[in-house]
Amino acid sequence: MPELKGACHCGRLRVAFETPSLEALSLRSCQCSFCRRHGARNVTDPGGFLAIEADAGALLRYRFGRKGIDMLLCADCGTYVAAVSEIDGALYATLNVIGADLQGLTPGQAEPVSYDDETDAERQARRRAKWTPATLTEIAPTHA
Amino acid sequence: MSRAEPVWWSGGCHCGAVRFEAALPVGVLAQACNCSMCEKVGFIHLIVPESRFRLTAGQDVLTHYRFNSGVADHLFCSICGVKSFYRPRSNPDGWSVNARCLDDAYSLEIRVEPFDGRNWEANAAALAHLSREAD
Repeated sequence: MPELKGACHCGRLRVAFETPSLEALSLRSCQCSFCRRHGARNVTDPGGFLAIEADAGALLRYRFGRKGIDMLLCADCGTYVAAVSEIDGALYATLNVIGADLQGLTPGQAEPVSYDDETDAERQARRRAKWTPATLTEIAPTHA
Repeated sequence: MSRAEPVWWSGGCHCGAVRFEAALPVGVLAQACNCSMCEKVGFIHLIVPESRFRLTAGQDVLTHYRFNSGVADHLFCSICGVKSFYRPRSNPDGWSVNARCLDDAYSLEIRVEPFDGRNWEANAAALAHLSREAD
C-alpha cells in the first residue's frame, strides 16, 4: 500500500498515511469556523491507515463546539495537522494535507462541506464510516 | 467616506483568547503566499503599518515561532493554534494580519492576489511599502 509522509512546519508532529486509493481520494474544505481559519483541506480513507507521531511536548490538543474530536496541532509552530475521534475504543482521523504538507499528493480542487445540520449520532456514524483508522503516538520525554 | 480610507476592523483566533483590530480600507488587496510556512497555516496577508494594528486581548497566550533567518516573529494562539497576525520578515516595521481571522471579512471586500514567497528574496521588496506610515 502506498505510504505518504508529512509533517508540520517544524517537523515535530508527523504523519504517515497509507492509502490504497491515492487517485480516488477526494479533498474536502470544511467550512467550520476552525477549518476556515486554518485554511484546512482534508482527506480521509476508511480503507487506509494514518499513523500520527508527536515529539515530547509537541502535541497541542484543541476541542471546541460539541467537543467530539481533538484537533491536533503542533505546539511549537502552530500547524493544524489532523483531527481524531475515539469511537468504541478505536481511533479515527481526518488529515489536513495542507498543514501536513503531505508528500506525493497534489492537492486539487477541494469540495466545500458543512456538517452543521448533523446530529451527534449522525456525526459519529459519518466519522466511523469515512474517517481513517489511526494511531497517535506521543514520544515520551527523555530525562537526563 | 472614500473607499480608500482605512477604518478599524476586529478579528481574532478561534477560541477567542486573541483579539486584535486593524485599520484597513474597503477593497483592500491581500496576498496569498505560497511559502512553506504560509501555505501550511493558510495565512492570507493584510500588511499594515505599526500604527494600524492593535492587540486588544491575548498577549499572554501567544506562542512565538521563528525559523530560517529568524527575522519574522510568527505568533499563534497557544490554545487553538490559530495565527491571527504576526511580524513579517518582509515588513518588520509593521504587522501582517490574517484575512481569515477578521470578524467581517465579507464587508471588507478583500481582493486576494498570489505572492510567490517560495522566491522570497526576489519578491519581498514589492511588499515593503505596505507597512509605511502615512505622512
